[in-house]
Amino acid sequence: MSTGSDAISDPTFPAAQRPDAIKAIPVRHPWRWVAAVVVLAFAAAVIYTFATAPGLQWSVVGQFLFYPEILRGILVTLELTAIAMAIGVVLGVILAVMRLSANPVVSSVSWLYIWFFRGTPVLVQIFFWFNIGSILPYLHIGIPFTHLFWIGTTNKIVTPLLAAILGLGLNEAAYMSEIVRAGIISVDTGQTEAAQALGMTRVLVMRRIVLPQAMRVIIPPTGNETISMLKTSSLAYIATVGELFFIQKEISNFNYDIIELAIVASIWYLAMTSVLTFGQYYLERYFARGASRLLPPTPLQRFRRLLFRFHEPPPVGPFEPPPIYEERLH
Amino acid sequence: MATPMVLAESVYKCFGRLEVLRGINLSVAAREVLCIVGPSGSGKSTFLRCINHLEKIDGGRLSVDGELVGYRQRGDKIYELPDREVCRKRAEIGMVFQRFNLFPHMTALENIMEAPLRVRGEAQKAVEERGRALLNRVGLADKVDVYPNHLSGGQQQRVAIARALAMQPKLMLFDEPTSALDPELVGEVLDVMRGLAQDGMTMVVVTHEMGFAREVGDSLVFMDGGVIVESGSPREVLANPQHERTRSFLSKVF
Repeated sequence: MSTGSDAISDPTFPAAQRPDAIKAIPVRHPWRWVAAVVVLAFAAAVIYTFATAPGLQWSVVGQFLFYPEILRGILVTLELTAIAMAIGVVLGVILAVMRLSANPVVSSVSWLYIWFFRGTPVLVQIFFWFNIGSILPYLHIGIPFTHLFWIGTTNKIVTPLLAAILGLGLNEAAYMSEIVRAGIISVDTGQTEAAQALGMTRVLVMRRIVLPQAMRVIIPPTGNETISMLKTSSLAYIATVGELFFIQKEISNFNYDIIELAIVASIWYLAMTSVLTFGQYYLERYFARGASRLLPPTPLQRFRRLLFRFHEPPPVGPFEPPPIYEERLH
Repeated sequence: MATPMVLAESVYKCFGRLEVLRGINLSVAAREVLCIVGPSGSGKSTFLRCINHLEKIDGGRLSVDGELVGYRQRGDKIYELPDREVCRKRAEIGMVFQRFNLFPHMTALENIMEAPLRVRGEAQKAVEERGRALLNRVGLADKVDVYPNHLSGGQQQRVAIARALAMQPKLMLFDEPTSALDPELVGEVLDVMRGLAQDGMTMVVVTHEMGFAREVGDSLVFMDGGVIVESGSPREVLANPQHERTRSFLSKVF
């Protein structure tokens, strides 16, 4: 088999003597140092101001940082975020597929859903579900034209937590469906054709071929949405759900240390979003398999490079071919 | 006479107001290799895509192995086939695309195993064995676990051929399989196709490779403007074209 690479690895083709790597004196970057000094000075000023603010009691922050109620609030926040995102993603995928359906009724239903849930504030939606008992005191579920039915008190079924989950989840689905739709559209139509030519049904093509490839486009904004949801879940306080924001507010209502408890909540929100950011990175790497030749460096690798090669250009030079290129030659 | 593998009777197809196929008549016998040549926009790729119902025809009859493509006839009436039936029939026809269209998120072997496993529900072990054998047949036994992006164009196209063969098709369609390849990679793909033809596969090949058409093709049609201008044995048509249009096209290709 004659491939182009054979000529390169052929020993009868002596490569020219490889010259020595260039040893040049690197360009100096004085402005990088100036910028670093300015930034550090500014950061120091900000930290100093807050550290020495006369009314700020850091001891209170420390006291409440691991307060059991706060920790319980964090659990509820995580629970709320996870369930609402799960609803958002699953319903979002369904809505996106519906939106792209050839059936005009199905596609319109999806459009209407997105129009409504994206068009009203999520706070209002949570409030709506929380108070639905005031207009529908009882819920009936029954089979029409029979006497088989089930009835329950709305306020017992739609608990504050469920109201928040419905409000956040249904709203998220509208946003997620647009993200998923963008992902689906981004996959080359040749992929669908090739799969169809192999006899795959539409459902199979979507599940096995299109969606896995769409994931690369879907995941970054979904990570964004998850981080956003973690913070938006604080709106559940309007439904008296005991999540982080609600708890810290309850405490500060009691002891008037408003800023201190806001700092406690912020520290925890930051910690949680940091963990999510980290997770997102590895998820992206997983779905990039097969798509790019070189996986991007992990955050740890990047951090190391930042520390030890501050003034070096990125390490891709003519004498450092990416590993996969070498693999192709064999 | 035996049932032809492909039978087209005044096949007609339009996209909006553009008439792409204007009455195509041809037949391909089992074990025959038909090459379709012609300028771009002549409708040859569209015709190929009609054969496995990736495009719907608007008029005429098109049948594969004695059964209408995409329709079923009962008495005088023609019924559209449900999705599932269309898929079942497509599974019996292999197709190779100009731009390979391998699934980039699967390795070479996974690409090949996907359809037998998911469409036919065959046993994992048997499919894997067959997949490895097919990769071996197209000369890529060492690329089993490699993702398509790490393969050259010629290697990708050979995997694509193996993927189509994994469904054990009774007919193979090739849509300009070497047009997207670097010139020096064309040979390896044509070699595989030549081997297939020798093994008796029925093939319809849209191509610009006149050498391949002459050497491997049993028959050749020249299409232009949605009609077949000229057809016959490849040697005759290529060496001694009867039509002015064919002559001017061939003079530009060689």
